[in-house]
Amino acid sequence: MPSCPSDTLPAGRPDAPQLAVAGALLTLLRDTTTEPRADIQLEALTLAVAADLPVLLWGEPGIGKTAALTQLATALDLPLTTVIASVHEPSDFSGLPVVGDDPAVQGVPMAPPDWAVRLVRAGRGLLFLDELSTAPPAVQAALLRLVLERRIGALRLPPGVRIVAAANPRSSAADGWELSPPLANRFVHLQWAHDHDVVVRGLGGTWPRATLPALDPERLPEAVAFARRVVCEFLVARPGLVHRLPNGESRRGGAWPSPRSWEATLRLIAFATAAGSSRDVLSLLVRGTVGDGPGLELLASLDRMDLPDPEMLLADPAGAGLPERGDLRQAVLDGVVAAVRRRPERARWDAAWALLVRAMETGAPDVVVVPATTLASLRREDWAVPAAIEQLAGAVSLSRRADEAARRAARTTGARR
Amino acid sequence: MTAEAPGALDLGKLFAARLHAARVRPYLATALFALRPVESREVPTMGVDRYWRCYVSPAFVDRTPVAELAAVWVHEVAHLLRDHHGRSDRYAREHRLTGPGERLRMNIAADCEINDDVYGEGLARPEDCVTPHRLGLSEGELMEDYLRQFRLGPGLERLAWLDCGSGADGLDRGWELGPDGAHGLSEQERDAIRFRVAQGIRGAPGSAPQGWRRWAEEVFHPPQPWRQLLGSALRSAVSGPGAGEDYHYGRPARRSAGLPRVVLPSLRRRPPRVCVVVDTSGSVSDAELGSALLEVAAICRAVGGRRDLVSVLSCDAAARTVQPLCRTEGIELVGGGGTDLRTGFARALRTRPDVVVVLTDGQTPWPEARPACRTVVGLFPRAGGSYDENDPGYRPDVPPAWARVVTIGSAAGRGMR
Repeated sequence: MPSCPSDTLPAGRPDAPQLAVAGALLTLLRDTTTEPRADIQLEALTLAVAADLPVLLWGEPGIGKTAALTQLATALDLPLTTVIASVHEPSDFSGLPVVGDDPAVQGVPMAPPDWAVRLVRAGRGLLFLDELSTAPPAVQAALLRLVLERRIGALRLPPGVRIVAAANPRSSAADGWELSPPLANRFVHLQWAHDHDVVVRGLGGTWPRATLPALDPERLPEAVAFARRVVCEFLVARPGLVHRLPNGESRRGGAWPSPRSWEATLRLIAFATAAGSSRDVLSLLVRGTVGDGPGLELLASLDRMDLPDPEMLLADPAGAGLPERGDLRQAVLDGVVAAVRRRPERARWDAAWALLVRAMETGAPDVVVVPATTLASLRREDWAVPAAIEQLAGAVSLSRRADEAARRAARTTGARR
Repeated sequence: MTAEAPGALDLGKLFAARLHAARVRPYLATALFALRPVESREVPTMGVDRYWRCYVSPAFVDRTPVAELAAVWVHEVAHLLRDHHGRSDRYAREHRLTGPGERLRMNIAADCEINDDVYGEGLARPEDCVTPHRLGLSEGELMEDYLRQFRLGPGLERLAWLDCGSGADGLDRGWELGPDGAHGLSEQERDAIRFRVAQGIRGAPGSAPQGWRRWAEEVFHPPQPWRQLLGSALRSAVSGPGAGEDYHYGRPARRSAGLPRVVLPSLRRRPPRVCVVVDTSGSVSDAELGSALLEVAAICRAVGGRRDLVSVLSCDAAARTVQPLCRTEGIELVGGGGTDLRTGFARALRTRPDVVVVLTDGQTPWPEARPACRTVVGLFPRAGGSYDENDPGYRPDVPPAWARVVTIGSAAGRGMR
């Protein structure tokens, strides 16, 4: 927006009408700029809406949910329809019964409200159901039919319409509404929080402008294959997590794992992969779909899938790339030693030693000690000690120092106990 | 890796200490190896930031024995695992605390939470570490509890050098690399590490001390304050079908005038009738009862129950009289013997309530069948269960599955995340 040119300001004219002055002041106040800023909340919301899953935003009132929806509608190029649920009656969503001339012949049609007719006629749009949790129970019941079956009275929303709902968290909701487990299972739950810095900077005149994820058409088949592999491998290893109803009072109303929510997870992983989104975005989405515990476990197994394959490392120890982070590096080395244990052969044993030396040269030495001890114990009688072991002397002395410290600590703590 | 220059960081000693720490605390190995050491001459000893970097003073490493360095490693990683920076920020916001003095207090309180059970069992306790005992406080409490109990003053000024970095108290230091510096971990990576450590502790609970086991149980599912839980259970019980504010066909709607021939429901308010059954047997203390009863009364009024519709019934082995809650104060509770809540239920149901709220320690028989109204049980936890010397195998019945159970008085104001 261009800054207000001074000649439109009626400041110099004392006889200017008050409303014109007020208008000029409002124009000045609206004169803000934007700056690019990564916003993982908005990115997660965009992906879930693009994936055509019903999203439920949990957030305190006045936190900027509507502003986010406006930005999302612009990004997806969809007209935004906002419906404040708490000011409507149930019949506004289930349809008004209109009695015709001969109900026995024609039946009683359920007339939909005007905004629904407009949405259906447009064929596309973003429908935002605000204040879901402060509506009376009968209104909520009618709304949920709209969200889950996409029906308003006699109309059915076309596939081009996407639905987002917003609710206040249980602790601040005046009417204590909560989702029953079947309903909670159908939503992607996103916690909406405000970022203090963003708000302060925005009030100062600069609002963030999020660059929203775009799906890459070239990556679609790869994304689907990846998502299927991730979810299936995980559920093979953890069959107990396929279906687990929430237990305990504090977990009511939230996301929980079921075949339905795993399917939604699969879809979200594919979308996040095709859009090249970060793990932080994926974490919000997955935890909002199957719940914190199962979501974190899935993410942990994703991290493990990112690690290099032990067999590949053993095949080419010289060209191996090891992860930077100490804990991941130890996981990789443990995996290599385990692979040698599974199929102990002289060449593989030597390759593992070469890998340990490489790890020793490129990172912290304490990470190498435990895998080296285990690998040494796998030696067969006729295998000669490889020359590479010389280069692990640093690790050996490190281990000796730690042993000594342990002995000393055992003496002192033992004496104290 | 080894440094020869005078005053340079002795990485070998540092890593030997980390190896020792990982050996005596195997469940923390993942977190220990994920920490990234950074040499710094400005940090007095060792400090962490919230991105899992560990700043180390070379002089401190030189003068400290390996066993003690290992203890410091564990101490610093405990700050990060227990999210002391996030909890400090939240505490500061809630209590409007500003300034470095308050942050020092948070660092001290966080140290108290860690130090009371982190040492021993192979880890030497550093000579000058802060313990609750030294501040004259009791052990085994959380940082937030300690913060309420002491302030800076004479006797504490010798702790002013204490500085575990922004990872301990949330205040950014000048020497830290900040969010954009090298080798920081993203929020998702930090969550993944904490999750993996917690899973390891839960998988083999025998080896970890009580404090860590409690942390592992609660890290991703913190117990909510019971007031919130009781409030939402009560609100959802009293706003269910048949009570509260909802649509009924009993009276024509205000829209009916404009829509002849259409039958519309109208919004009607029917305040819920709540009966509170209070277990006055000898095993429940007066203080517990008083706080819970006031809570129930306040919530009932807030959701539209007129005071004359909330009644209170005290019950031990026999149900006493039902009193309407017409006064804020002076609810007379009589009783004191054993408990049989079945008589209490029977008596309460004669008032035809919408909701029965039971406040009890649960050491009672429960009704066989589900009563004809919604039931919320406020349960006072009893450690160890009751013991009957005539029948050592006796176990009191647990509250039935049809009731919503909220544990009262546990974990109030606690939040590990």
